[in-house]
Amino acid sequence: MKMAMRAALRCLSVNFSPRLPQLSSAAQVSATRLLCRSGAPRTLSTTSGQCTALKFTEKHEWVLVESGIGTVGISNYAQEALGDVVYCGLPEVGQKLEQLDECGALESVKAASELYSPLTGEVTAINTELAENPGLVNKSCYADGWLIKMTIERPEELDRLMDQPAYDKFIKSLEE
Amino acid sequence: MLGTFCVLSAGVQRAWSSSSCLFMDPSSPGLVLQSQSTDVFQNLALEDWIDAHVDLQQRSILLLWRNRPTVVIGRHQNPWAECNLPAMRSAQVPVARRRSGGGTVYHDLGNLNLTFFASKKAYDRRRNLKVVTDALRRVRPQLDIQATDRLDILLNGRYKISGTASRLSRKSSYHHCTLLHSADRSAIAVLLRPSCPGIRSNATPSIPSPVTNLTDHAPSLQWEELLEAVVQQYSSEFGLTSSSQCVDPADEALFPGVGSMEAELRGWQWTFGKTPKFSVETQLELRDERPAARCSAQLQLEVKNGRVESCRVEVPATWLPERLSASLAQALLGERFCPHRAAAALSALLRCESGPLHSRLRNLCDVLVAAMG
Repeated sequence: MKMAMRAALRCLSVNFSPRLPQLSSAAQVSATRLLCRSGAPRTLSTTSGQCTALKFTEKHEWVLVESGIGTVGISNYAQEALGDVVYCGLPEVGQKLEQLDECGALESVKAASELYSPLTGEVTAINTELAENPGLVNKSCYADGWLIKMTIERPEELDRLMDQPAYDKFIKSLEE
Repeated sequence: MLGTFCVLSAGVQRAWSSSSCLFMDPSSPGLVLQSQSTDVFQNLALEDWIDAHVDLQQRSILLLWRNRPTVVIGRHQNPWAECNLPAMRSAQVPVARRRSGGGTVYHDLGNLNLTFFASKKAYDRRRNLKVVTDALRRVRPQLDIQATDRLDILLNGRYKISGTASRLSRKSSYHHCTLLHSADRSAIAVLLRPSCPGIRSNATPSIPSPVTNLTDHAPSLQWEELLEAVVQQYSSEFGLTSSSQCVDPADEALFPGVGSMEAELRGWQWTFGKTPKFSVETQLELRDERPAARCSAQLQLEVKNGRVESCRVEVPATWLPERLSASLAQALLGERFCPHRAAAALSALLRCESGPLHSRLRNLCDVLVAAMG
């Protein structure tokens, strides 16, 4: 079992945003959770410290926290609903955001969809790959298609977001 | 022409003391509004206001509006790449950036704008366009009118008479489209071309299409007839019990906060400052009069948030000492990418430099300013 896990994890790249192999969205999320368990092997040089499982907002954004920094992206449900993304309008590094602030828009053939900040904090990084390759949001919404990184000024906001099972339930209720 | 655009007279319109009267009629699942204003910023602000403040979960709204001559660019477009800003300045045609996606369009009083507001769940652009195509087919059955996969509306399978764009926000959506009744097509050709050469950008591009007016093919189609047809078709499609209402988008009592929305849309920060990062690379042709001489120089600029982030001016050292072209480039850093700002920044430099190089320096400044659209 250990060998299988190491093999699976070896596929993941060593930088902070892991490149996940082609997995279904559920498996993608489980793999990320594997990555974040404190027992991750040293071949994976992630920054030290705990990270939490994915949390979700009602606007279909996800947040993954590691060492006090939250990486934000949109869920598979959202990217499917959006259609092919042609432009990512993101906030600036250094921009201070309140939870639910409009902080940009993703433009697809379907519409310009407003992005809302999932948390209160300051933007520390934006995914510059998306300028040349906005389709990453569709192809790899939980990994290479991440949108921004931000500080977490109010951890209690994070606690109030949905975990994976709650989000899955939420999606089901929307589809009815 | 403006007066005929409103169904109600101004006196009746004042009966609406607050927006809650206007928007809360439970017996009316569909509501049609006509804007009294022909100011693009007021009209765009009204769209934003309705999107932000009206509960669209149980109802839908159609807003009909038109603007005085204006160029409207999409959310993530580059105005310098999309339109001829110097020509527009001369003609006093403003540029506006809307919040929806899509490409650049020219508006004037011969173009009808339709905005379909609905909940995100009820967002259905095809259904909305069917209102337009069905209305047109009803009033002029001889016209060949079709909506395409891209959600344009074409006449005779070739000419675009309508383009579409939309915005999805927290709970609601709007889908707006143009409809060419009798617009000035020659203005389109002149104004919808780049302001300056050499722009490289990943902003969303426009897809140019041949356009035509409805009145070019159905000369008897009156503006009022077109509006009436669209309103009737919307009523039958979406359910409507009251007639359309005239609204003043500048009415702060009716739409509290709309004034500041308008100010934001009108401002430089939204219109130009929101432009995705781009670069300009172009050759400059320099000349001297006494003695007559010429030379080519290279300009390379990076523009971020509408301001010059980096600038390189490569002029042969035999033409101008490098220290001068370097200080010119330096003077532009941080300035808005704008010929007036550039001219002001450079004139300070020009004042410091007298002597034989002055005319060459002045020529370089003029050429640089001209390259900035």
